[in-house]
Amino acid sequence: MEWILSYLKKYKIAAGMALVMLLLELSVELLQPFLISKIIDDGIAVKDLSVVWMWGGVLMGSALIAFGAGLSSSFFASHASQGFAYDLRDKLYDKVQSFSYTVFSKFESSSLITRLTGDITQLQDMIFMSLRFATRVPLVVIGSIIMAMVVHAKLGLLLLITVPVLLGFVLWMMRITTRKFKDVQQRLDRVNGVIQENLTGMRLIRVFVRMAHEVEKFAGYSRNLMKGTISALRITETTVPFILLLINAGIIAVLWFGRIDIRSGNASIGEVVAVMNYSLRIIGALSALSWIMMSYSRAFASAQRVVEVLDTEDSTDIAIITKNTSEKTLKNTSKNTSKNTSYSAEIPSPARGLMQIEGRIQFRDVAFRYPLGDLAVLRHISFEVKPGQRVAIMGATGSGKSSLVQLIPRLHEQTEGEIYIDGRDIVSLEPAELRGAIGYVPQEVMLFTGTIRENIAWGREDATLEEIQTAAKQAQIHETVVKLPHGYDTKLGQRGVNLSGGQKQRLSIARALVRQPAILILDDSTSALDVRTEGLLLQALDELSCTTFLITQKISSTSSADLILLMDDGELIAQGTHDELMKNSPLYQRIYISQHGEGAHHVQSIY
Amino acid sequence: MFKAFIEPFQHPFPDLTLTPKAKAKPKDWSGTVGRIWHYLAVRKVKLIFVLLMVVLSSGLALLGPYMIGQAVDHYLQGTGTVPWPLFLMGLGFVYVFYSLTSWLQNIWMIEVSQETVYRMRFDLFSHLHKLPISFYGKRQQGEIMSRVTNDIENVSGTLNSSAIQIFSSVLTLVGTLGVMIYLSPLLTLLTFIVVPLMILGMRWITRRTGPLYKERQRNLGELNGYIEETLSGQRIIKAFSQEARVMRGFRARNAAIRSSGFWAQTISGFIPKLMNSLNNLSFALVAGIGGTLAIHGSVTIGIIIVFVEYARQFTRPLNDLANQWNTLLSAIAGAERVFEVLDEETENSDEKEAIALEHVQGAVTFSHVSFAYDEKAPPILKDISFEVKPGEMIALVGPTGAGKTTLIQLLSRFYDATAGLITLDGQDICILQRESIRKNMAFVLQDSFLFRGTIRDNIRFGRLDATDTEVEEASKLANAHSFIMRLDGGYDRELQSDGRGISQGQKQLLAIARAMLADPAMLVLDEATSSIDTITEIKIQEGLKRLMKGRTSFVIAHRLNTIRQADQILVLQDGRIIERGSHDELVKLEGFYSSLHQGKMASLPE
Repeated sequence: MEWILSYLKKYKIAAGMALVMLLLELSVELLQPFLISKIIDDGIAVKDLSVVWMWGGVLMGSALIAFGAGLSSSFFASHASQGFAYDLRDKLYDKVQSFSYTVFSKFESSSLITRLTGDITQLQDMIFMSLRFATRVPLVVIGSIIMAMVVHAKLGLLLLITVPVLLGFVLWMMRITTRKFKDVQQRLDRVNGVIQENLTGMRLIRVFVRMAHEVEKFAGYSRNLMKGTISALRITETTVPFILLLINAGIIAVLWFGRIDIRSGNASIGEVVAVMNYSLRIIGALSALSWIMMSYSRAFASAQRVVEVLDTEDSTDIAIITKNTSEKTLKNTSKNTSKNTSYSAEIPSPARGLMQIEGRIQFRDVAFRYPLGDLAVLRHISFEVKPGQRVAIMGATGSGKSSLVQLIPRLHEQTEGEIYIDGRDIVSLEPAELRGAIGYVPQEVMLFTGTIRENIAWGREDATLEEIQTAAKQAQIHETVVKLPHGYDTKLGQRGVNLSGGQKQRLSIARALVRQPAILILDDSTSALDVRTEGLLLQALDELSCTTFLITQKISSTSSADLILLMDDGELIAQGTHDELMKNSPLYQRIYISQHGEGAHHVQSIY
Repeated sequence: MFKAFIEPFQHPFPDLTLTPKAKAKPKDWSGTVGRIWHYLAVRKVKLIFVLLMVVLSSGLALLGPYMIGQAVDHYLQGTGTVPWPLFLMGLGFVYVFYSLTSWLQNIWMIEVSQETVYRMRFDLFSHLHKLPISFYGKRQQGEIMSRVTNDIENVSGTLNSSAIQIFSSVLTLVGTLGVMIYLSPLLTLLTFIVVPLMILGMRWITRRTGPLYKERQRNLGELNGYIEETLSGQRIIKAFSQEARVMRGFRARNAAIRSSGFWAQTISGFIPKLMNSLNNLSFALVAGIGGTLAIHGSVTIGIIIVFVEYARQFTRPLNDLANQWNTLLSAIAGAERVFEVLDEETENSDEKEAIALEHVQGAVTFSHVSFAYDEKAPPILKDISFEVKPGEMIALVGPTGAGKTTLIQLLSRFYDATAGLITLDGQDICILQRESIRKNMAFVLQDSFLFRGTIRDNIRFGRLDATDTEVEEASKLANAHSFIMRLDGGYDRELQSDGRGISQGQKQLLAIARAMLADPAMLVLDEATSSIDTITEIKIQEGLKRLMKGRTSFVIAHRLNTIRQADQILVLQDGRIIERGSHDELVKLEGFYSSLHQGKMASLPE
C-alpha cells in the first residue's frame, strides 16, 4: 500500500488539509457532549439560565464552524483524490504504452480497460472516502475515549477497555472479508465468462442441441457464486451487531459505576451523561463500518490488479524512451490542467531527417519464442534482402510468418540470432528511429475514430493533402474515397465500420505508404482485395523504392517477388524465386497446382 | 506552498452542454417491483421472519435511548420503581436482542436475496437459450451481456442492503417521531426546524450533482472508448512509434474526467456535511432551549438526553433514505432491463403432437418454399424447390445475401417457412420436434467456436457421452489428431474461449472432429473463406471429404474445387434459384454460373 501513498505525495497539502478540516469538524462534535454536561451541571442543576444560553450559543457557533470546515474538506479531499486518480491512470496507461508488444499481448485488453477505468475509480473512491469518512471512524472512537477520560477518568476507562478488543476484532474481520470478496469476484468472473462464451457460441449450441448441458454448467457456477456471496456477506453483516453489543455492554457498565460514583459524590450527573453520550457516538461511527470494510476490500482487490500491471517488468529499452517523453508532457499538463493539449507534432516526423535506412535486411539464425511460451515460434531463420527487393512470405496459418515480420520493427525481440538492417544490428538502433523507416500494415485492420484523411495522416502527422492523396492512389483507394459524400473528410466510426473489408485494408496500406517508408511490411493485408486490385497495388508498389515484405497466400502475388520464403511450423523450409521453388520445393508445387490447376479458381475472390 | 491551499478551489466548472439530458428512470414501476416481489415471494416464510426482525430491531432501537433517559431521571438521581440491577438487566436484554434481531434480519435477507438473484440469473440464462436466433441478430452482444451481468449485479446489491434499510428507515422514522411527540411536543418541533433546511439543501445539491455525474459518466465512456481503440491498435501504435501522441489524447480525456469528477464529488460530498451540521444545529437547539425548559421544570434532563439521541437517530434514516433512493431507482431500472429480455418471445415451442425422428436417412425436399422475416419485410427466399437424396452433396452458390444461410436455417427450423413445404424423410418438418431435426445435423461453421476447456471437452461437445477413444478416433478421421498430439498437453490442453494458442485452420479441424463425433445423417458446411490458407486447406479438405462421405451435405461453397464435387449445385440470387444442375451442366448453360467459373464477373457486389 506504500505505493498509494507515494502517488498521494503530490497532493499532501490538499490531503492534509482535508484531514485537518475533518479534525476540526470532529472536535466540534466531540465537544458537544462535554458542553451538554456543562449545561446540565452548571446550568440546569443550579438553575442558571445565562449559563445554559451561553453554552447553547457556543454549541450553535461551533456547529457553523463545523459546517464551514466540512464544506472545505470536500474541496480538499476531491482535489487530492481526483488528482491521485488522474496521475495513477496516466502512469498506468503510460506503462501499458511502454510495454513491448510481447509483454503487452500477455494481458487481455478487456482486463486492461477494467484496470484503467473501474479499478482506478474504485481506488479514487477509497481515497476520497478515507479522507472524508473512513478516517473519521477511528478518530471518533479515539477522540470520544479521550474526551470521556477528560470528563471523568474512571468512567472513561471503561470505554478504553473495549477498544483493543474492538480493534483486534475489526482487523481480523477485514482480513477475512478481503479474502472472501476476492473469492466472490473470481466466481463472478467465471459466471460472466460462461455467459460471454454462450452468447458468442449461441448458434453452435443450438445446432448441437446442447442447451441443457450449458444451462446445467451455468447453474453450477452460478450456485457457486451464490454460496460465496452469502458466506462473504454474512461475515460483514455479523461484524456490526457484534461491535454494537460490545459498546452497549460498555454503556451498561458506565451506568452501573456512574450511579455508584454519583452516590458517593465522585461524579456528577452531567459527567455520567457525557460519558454515555460519547459511547453513543462511538456506536454511531461504527455503524458505518461494514460499508467501509466492504469498500476497502474492493479497493484492495483493485489495487492488486493495478499493481500487477505497474510491476510488470519489461526488459526492452523501448520502455525507457517513451517514459522520458511522457514525463515531459506530464509537467506540461499539470500546469494547465483543464486545457486540452493539442496534437502538436512533437515526435520526430518519420519521413524526414531519420530516413537514413536503405532497407538491406539480414536474418542470421534467428529464433523466437514468447516469454512464457513452451514452443519456439521461429527457428533457424536466415536470409538476406537487398534494398528495394520484394520478399513474399508463404506458409500455413501458425507457421510463424507474422512473428517473423514483427521482429523487424522490434515489436518482438528475437530470442536467438541477429537481425541486421543496413549492416547494423537492430538491437543497437533506437526503436523510434527504426520504426520511423518502416511502414507496417497488420493482418487485422485497425482504423481509428476520425476522418479518412486523419486516418491516413495517422502514419505521419505533418503530411500534406497532396501526399495523402498520393499514398491513397498508390493504395488504390483514392477513387473510392473521392466518391464518398465528404471525400477525404468522411468520418469513420469506431474501427471504421462503414467501409468494406477490402476498402479498410487499402486505407491501412495508404496509412503505411504516406510515411514513405524504406521498409514496407504487408502482413497478409491484401486478403480481401480482388485479384485485379491487388495486381494494381503490386504494380504501384513496384514504382516505390522500398524493401517490401509481403505475407500472402496467393501464388499470383509471389510469382513476381525477388525472394520467396516458404515457412512451415516455424522453420524456413525453402527460399528462392518462383522458378527456383517450382523446381525444388514439392510443397510450393502443391500450392501452385491447387491454385492454378483446372477449377481452382477462388470464387470468393471474384465476388 | 500557498498555491497548494488555493488550488482545490480553482477547478474550472465543466461545461455541461454536451451532457445527455435523458434520465434512466424505470418506466413501469409497480410492474417491475411486483415481479421482483414475485421472485422474493418464493421464500415467503423467511421473508416474513425478516420483516418481523426488522420491526423488532426498530422497536428495540427506540427503546434503548428511552431507557437511558429513564435511568438518568429516575436512577442516577433518586430511585425508580424497579430495582436498579433489574433495570440494568432489562437494558442489557434490550441491547442483546437488538444485536440479535438486526443480525438475523441481515443473515436471512442475504440468503433470500442471493437465492432470488440466482433464480433471476438462471431464468435469464435459460431464457437466452430459448430465444429465437433472430434476437441475437437484432442486438449487440455487449448489450445483452451487460443485462445479464451488470444489471443483475445491481439488483443483487440493492436487495442485499437497500431493501431492509429502506423499510427499517421508515419504521425508525415513524417510531422516533411518535416517541418524541409523546415526550415533548415542543422539543419535537424544535428538532423539526431543521427539516425544511435539510430539504432545501438536498435539492440544491442534487440539482447540481445529477448533471455532473452524468457528465463524468460521459467522460468515462469516452475514455473507455479511447482506451479500447488504442489497446486494440497497439501494434500499429508501436510500429508507427505514435506512443507519445496517443498519450496526449489519453491525457486530454483523463483530465476531463478529473474536472467533472472533482465537481461531482465535491458537491455530493456536501451532503453528509450538511446533514451533520443540521444535526449539530438541532443538537444545540435542543440543548439550549431544552435546558431553559428544564430550569422551568417542564422537561427533565432525561428527556433532553433522549431527545439529543433521537434527533441523531432521526436524521440518520432520512439520510439513508436519500442515499438508498437512487440505488433503488437504478436497481429497478436494471431489473426492468432484465425482465425485458425475459419477456422476449421464445422460439416457438414444438407443437404438442410433434414427432421425434429416430433414424434419419437424410432425404430432403423443398417445394415452393418462400420466407420473409415478417409480413412487411421483403421476402428472403422465393419459391424454392429442390430434392436431395440421402448421401448427396448439395452446393449452394451465390453472392452474399442471396439467401443461402436462410435456406439452411429453414431446414434446421430456426425459422419456419412462410409458404411451401419442407420435408425430411418424407415428413413435413413442421410436425417434427426441432431438437430431433437438429440432433441429426452437424454444422461446421465458418467461425468455429471453441469453449473454455480442454480440447477433449471441445470435441466431445459433439456427443457428450463419447468415450476418450471415440474422441480420438474422430480426431484422427478429421486430420486433427496429429496437431493435437504436438500441442503441450495434447487432448488435455486447456483452450481459452477466444482460441488463443491455436490457429484458424486448427480450429476448423477441431470443428470437423466435433461434427465427426456427432455422426449425424446430415451435414451443413459453411465453407471457410479467405481466413484459411492453401496449405491448411489441403489438410482440411481431406478431413472434410471423410466427414461428408455417406451423409447428406449442404455446403455453402466458396471454392470451385468443392463445388465441382457436388451432386447438385443450386445457384441462388436474390432469394431465387436461378440455375441448378451439375458442374458440367451449368458450365454448358453459359449463364451466371459459367461466368462465375470463368471469372468474368470481377466486380460482383459483395
